[in-house]
Amino acid sequence: MNQPMAYLILVPLATAVVGWWLRSHSDRTTARVSIAGTVVTFLIALFALGLALTGTPVEQIAIGPSWGSLLFDPLSTLMAVVISGISLIVHVYSRRYMAGERGYARFFMLLDLMTATLLLMVSAGDLITLLVAWHLVGVLLYFLLGQEMTNPTAHRYAAWTFLTYRFGDLPLVLAAVLLYQAFGTWSLPAIFDALAQAPDSRTLFDLPLAESVATLLALSVFARSAQFLLHTWLPYTMSGPTPVSALMHAGIVNAGGFLINRFAPLFVHTEGVLHWLFIVGLVTAVVGSVLMLAQNDIKKALGYSTMGQMGFMVMECGVGAFSLAVYHLIAHGLFKGTLFLGAGGVIRQARQNDGVPKDDLYTFVVERRPAGVRRPWLLMAAVTLVVPATILVLAHWLVANDFFQRQGAVVLLFFGWVTGAQLIFATYRMRTENTWRLLGLILISFTIVVVGYTLIAHAFDVFLYPDEAFRAQIYASAGIDIFWFDVLVILVALVVVFGWLITYYAQNNGGRRDLQATSIWRSFYTLIAREFYVAAAYRRLSDALLGAAARLNVMLRWS
Amino acid sequence: MSSISLLLVAIFLPLFPFSMVFNRLFARIASAPMRIALLLAWPSIGLVLLSALGNTLPTWVAYWSVATALLYAFRALALRDLALWLSHIATSAWALLWLPAVFDETARASAWPVAAFSVPLVLLAWLTGYLERTYGAAYAGSLGGLATGAPRLAGLLVFTVLAAIGTPLFPGFFVLLNMIGVSLNTTPATALAVLAVWMLWAWAGVRILQGLIVGPPNDTAQADIGPTQTGILGMVMAAFAAGGIWLSGGLA
Repeated sequence: MNQPMAYLILVPLATAVVGWWLRSHSDRTTARVSIAGTVVTFLIALFALGLALTGTPVEQIAIGPSWGSLLFDPLSTLMAVVISGISLIVHVYSRRYMAGERGYARFFMLLDLMTATLLLMVSAGDLITLLVAWHLVGVLLYFLLGQEMTNPTAHRYAAWTFLTYRFGDLPLVLAAVLLYQAFGTWSLPAIFDALAQAPDSRTLFDLPLAESVATLLALSVFARSAQFLLHTWLPYTMSGPTPVSALMHAGIVNAGGFLINRFAPLFVHTEGVLHWLFIVGLVTAVVGSVLMLAQNDIKKALGYSTMGQMGFMVMECGVGAFSLAVYHLIAHGLFKGTLFLGAGGVIRQARQNDGVPKDDLYTFVVERRPAGVRRPWLLMAAVTLVVPATILVLAHWLVANDFFQRQGAVVLLFFGWVTGAQLIFATYRMRTENTWRLLGLILISFTIVVVGYTLIAHAFDVFLYPDEAFRAQIYASAGIDIFWFDVLVILVALVVVFGWLITYYAQNNGGRRDLQATSIWRSFYTLIAREFYVAAAYRRLSDALLGAAARLNVMLRWS
Repeated sequence: MSSISLLLVAIFLPLFPFSMVFNRLFARIASAPMRIALLLAWPSIGLVLLSALGNTLPTWVAYWSVATALLYAFRALALRDLALWLSHIATSAWALLWLPAVFDETARASAWPVAAFSVPLVLLAWLTGYLERTYGAAYAGSLGGLATGAPRLAGLLVFTVLAAIGTPLFPGFFVLLNMIGVSLNTTPATALAVLAVWMLWAWAGVRILQGLIVGPPNDTAQADIGPTQTGILGMVMAAFAAGGIWLSGGLA
């Protein structure tokens, strides 16, 4: 029954070889072969997902004596559909986009190899196969980003990506070796079974095995999913071809979320790692979103937007909503892929119309249209605070009556409320001729998004983790002491409300400027404009290391 | 185990400062076949001598070996001459061969790790010779643009460098994984050092590749390698990778 998983990887591998072989015939032939292969891969992935949906049991297919096994389970089949689907879109887009470019056939061969490697990664049934695929993704991405061989800048940033990925590969290697030494097998299902039998196993220095391995996995996730301090490669790799950016932002960068889900049976035996995931994800989400707002280059802004989204994805894992993170990575992959592939069109449109909102006075005097009106702020404030909360609570109540018992659900609910309130708040600030109509449309969209999101997330939960006790175990391992949880929620709520009040105050006192506040604001803006000096610090560090290496060589006379 | 025999092995499976002997010698040789012979003979002699060492090796040898590997991997970062780069990577890799010998006496006479590290370096030495004959030097930065001007040569360079820096699916990856496995329980610091060496190799590899293959084509006529030679070298690399996958089955 699990044969589709093997064909899934073999088909793109075969098209990579055949396409390369046919390159002397014509570049178009190579592209056609590659696209046809990806269509077949996508169909096989759909078939495999269909099998998983109809309840075909989890199976492991072994090829090599100690490694090389593939896993047929809900997570691998779902991810296979996502990867092959996004890959197909990128293939079709690239056929014309890359036409006339040097290395056209090489590009399609690399795309096929990347597809095969990603599929191998998500369906790996043992640690060595996972390690091999995990490493190869970084190598292939380096060559895809450096597709333009005459562009040293593209290669420089591709090298950044490669080195960050390699840095993230190392903890995964350590985690794999620790697990092998503990249980004497590379097989993932066997390891998870053994861990369930002995969740308190110890490792080096008598440290708890699950906690140690989960920490190492988290480090790998941080590098692969561009979490803060390991994020600089993501927004700087825009010199590569647009289809590669789309593939990277829609698929490859999401690997962190996949890895956490793959090791869910291990994470349920941890105590503190998920809390760290939450904190790092939160910081990344905030920093990524702030940096995105300061960009004037659409592709770089999209890069930071991805960073923020990856922060949310890791944060979701941190609150125990593992399957929600999978849904998030799929949704993010689809919309970010669309944005990247449409970036060229947006730039063309912006050249024709800058899209900057007109001033009220301009609208009234020059265009002779009435200026927009605002509703009483108290009424709008009430709508802002109450409506999103009501919609969110009702939507969650639909899928689980006891959701208030789960801290993760409450945290997500809280974030949903802040986002919804911010949306309505922004609507209030927009001057429009018909506020109620705009507000009504926004509320309908918000309701659809929330209800849809909640129901789909619940469906993912049931599909990926059918065992209800296991789902509860994940949420439990992400939980903290109820007192501190309540304190934190209240504190964050106060900070958010305080932020809104400051914004309101600034709006109504726009004319008066506090010199000290302006100075602080400028310093903050400089910090953001310089991207918190993180990239500059890495550059300094690498220059210092290279200088030291050169001095050592001179000292030792190159021998 | 006498100190003299240990020092003798430290020359052939190079430990710093005895490693300078190999690097001095390699730098003096200009002929590619001679370099290849040296790359094959040097670690083989070391392996034979190592297997002749009777007693259990002390743990400090492991620390010495990873320190040497780190030193040469770090120094390779700043090297632009391909011949020097490969001699430094060879020194760094061969130094690591002490680890299985220290932690697993049964693995002392195994030729597999030596071959896994040396075969890509031998191929690279051949390519370096080709570059030097054709362009007068194999110097990253001044050469450049090979991917556009000589794509077959660039392709072979990419694969051999990737194999030399322990990229999966080449055998070096499995050997490194095995080394981490055997040393992690006894001396976790050496396992971490092996990972650091691996990271430095990757960085050094990317830097040397960028200097050779990226950029606009060089002004000098770009003479690419012949299709037959490319085919033969490509098949050797493929067989090497396949052999690595096959033999890595013993990891369990």
